[in-house]
Amino acid sequence: MSEEAAAPKKAVLTPPKVLGIFALAMINVAAVLSIRNFPSMAMFGWQCIGWYIIGTVLFLIPLSLAGAELATMLSHKGGGVYAWCKEAFGEKGGFVAIFCEWSNNLVWFPTVLAFIASTLAFALSPALGSNSIYLFSVMMIAFWGTTAIAYFGENVSSKFQNYGVILGSIIPSILIIGLGIWWAMSGAVIVLPPFSISQIVPTLNMSTLPFFATVILLFAGMEMAGFHALETRNPSKDYPKAMAISAVIIFACTVLATLAIAFVIPANELNLSAGVMQAIQYFFNAAHIPAAVAPMAVLITVGGVVSLAAWLIGPAKGLGVVAEEGNLPPVFNRTNKYGSPVAVLFIQALIGTFVSLLYIFLPSVNQAYWILSAMTVELLCIVYFLVFASLIKLRYSRPDAPRPFKIPGGMPGVWLIGGMGAFAVIFAFIVGLMPTGAFTAKETLFYVIGLLLGTFLLSVPPLIFLKLKKPSWIETGNKEGELK
Amino acid sequence: MNEVDNSTWAVMLILILIVLLPIGWIVVVSASEPYHVVLGEPLREAAENSGITVVSAVNSTLPFPGATGGKIYTFSDENGDLFTIQTQSFDSAGSRDAAIQIHNAQSLGKGKPVQDLVVVGNHLFFIKPGTSGIMNKILPELQKIKSR
Repeated sequence: MSEEAAAPKKAVLTPPKVLGIFALAMINVAAVLSIRNFPSMAMFGWQCIGWYIIGTVLFLIPLSLAGAELATMLSHKGGGVYAWCKEAFGEKGGFVAIFCEWSNNLVWFPTVLAFIASTLAFALSPALGSNSIYLFSVMMIAFWGTTAIAYFGENVSSKFQNYGVILGSIIPSILIIGLGIWWAMSGAVIVLPPFSISQIVPTLNMSTLPFFATVILLFAGMEMAGFHALETRNPSKDYPKAMAISAVIIFACTVLATLAIAFVIPANELNLSAGVMQAIQYFFNAAHIPAAVAPMAVLITVGGVVSLAAWLIGPAKGLGVVAEEGNLPPVFNRTNKYGSPVAVLFIQALIGTFVSLLYIFLPSVNQAYWILSAMTVELLCIVYFLVFASLIKLRYSRPDAPRPFKIPGGMPGVWLIGGMGAFAVIFAFIVGLMPTGAFTAKETLFYVIGLLLGTFLLSVPPLIFLKLKKPSWIETGNKEGELK
Repeated sequence: MNEVDNSTWAVMLILILIVLLPIGWIVVVSASEPYHVVLGEPLREAAENSGITVVSAVNSTLPFPGATGGKIYTFSDENGDLFTIQTQSFDSAGSRDAAIQIHNAQSLGKGKPVQDLVVVGNHLFFIKPGTSGIMNKILPELQKIKSR
């Protein structure tokens, strides 16, 4: 007798279909578009265009197309990357993919939370940015507040993201782009050298190669909308359009806003040591609107919170589906009347709080935190490799499955897109292991071992849970909502 | 009872694997630099000892509470290529560590910050991308200064 037949019949929720094209697109934009990337990339001058092209051709386009095909093919299944990778490689593949996406967040949360707190401090009083109590307090308000938004389900969180991404990411980007155009048209000095094609070619050598991994994953998050398939009104039609819209918005805002900053701030004065707001302040001072700095800091703070929300909610929903299917102990399988995976959200919030505590109050963790940041890159490479591999595998294992959106070009097209994306993330994984220059040989060895070990530890729990899996892990009656 | 035990065990497993081991490992491997005052200009000294030419050193204090002064150094390697590194010294461990936190928060996408950071006593050195070639030469001399 099968496990499902032996287990008691479980209640099945019907999540409300509240998401359309715009909401889906905004989920992706929230997850990917980040103002704090612009000054960092502006340091490269014209070469930022070359780096962006690399990231777009090798990752943004392949992931957008792969996400569109997989999400529309499997729009009847929740879980995003979990559903896609599970369909191709079984429960192990799906579980490893979603767990890597979820666990990399736990390491990333403190950095984005600290960014939110320090950026808000710029609007209130810059001295607060050095106050640990202030930092931790604001971090917890942002973190638990965003978790609370996720608690109230898709209706609330999508409205929050729709308004928040416009306020916190798109408006600031347009403002920066507008000021850059004004700067260029007003005859002010453009600090970049005269443009030529050779100027945009990035410098690729041993010292910049580790940066390749970061650039490839600059557009990580384009799969976020896939976690919300069950709440989408018409996923087979809406999802591809949403992917296209979000990809265009992200690419245009990112490149143009980065160039706008590069036009105005000389590279040798573009210093992120005191944070991106230092660069933004320089930018607005040069444009003679210093009064705009504080409101801009507030908007960028909102953008940080919305980005946090997108990454906090999506993978948690994916892990919630894993728990619903009985692949996690029952303690993880709790949803509320809004359909939110409250147990996963709560455990995630507890772990994130603990890691943030260490980040803020333990100098040893603080100084070494960039190693954990490197680990997030490695974990994401595992996720995206599995996604691209799933895209290709499913063309062979499920050739006749309905695909409302299909990558053009038949099998060669799929191999080109999936292969390019997979190659890029494999390469990113390898070069991500390379430490940057400030290391002795002994430290390099420890760094690589530590990185691999940490990545392994953060990706292996699914295999342990699947070994421990019991039929009784599929429960009944722990959900509120309609019965199907 | 078995169900509670398994669930509890599973949760503990996650907490240990995800949180304690990776963080514990990096804390062990990467010993933190204790705060102490390093007199003079350690970066200039290390550069000169390693044969790197210091082209210029411009005073530049970053807008951090507790920042006591810094410089933007321009170095030249044997090929004549120029590199700039910004340094900043701090008057307390708290202010120095706060600056490190702000640096870590400027990550690019979901990765690392574009700049690298080296900590020597009360000094922070902000290293822009593409400077690792010159840093590979300076770093061993910096290690000697750290261990003085």
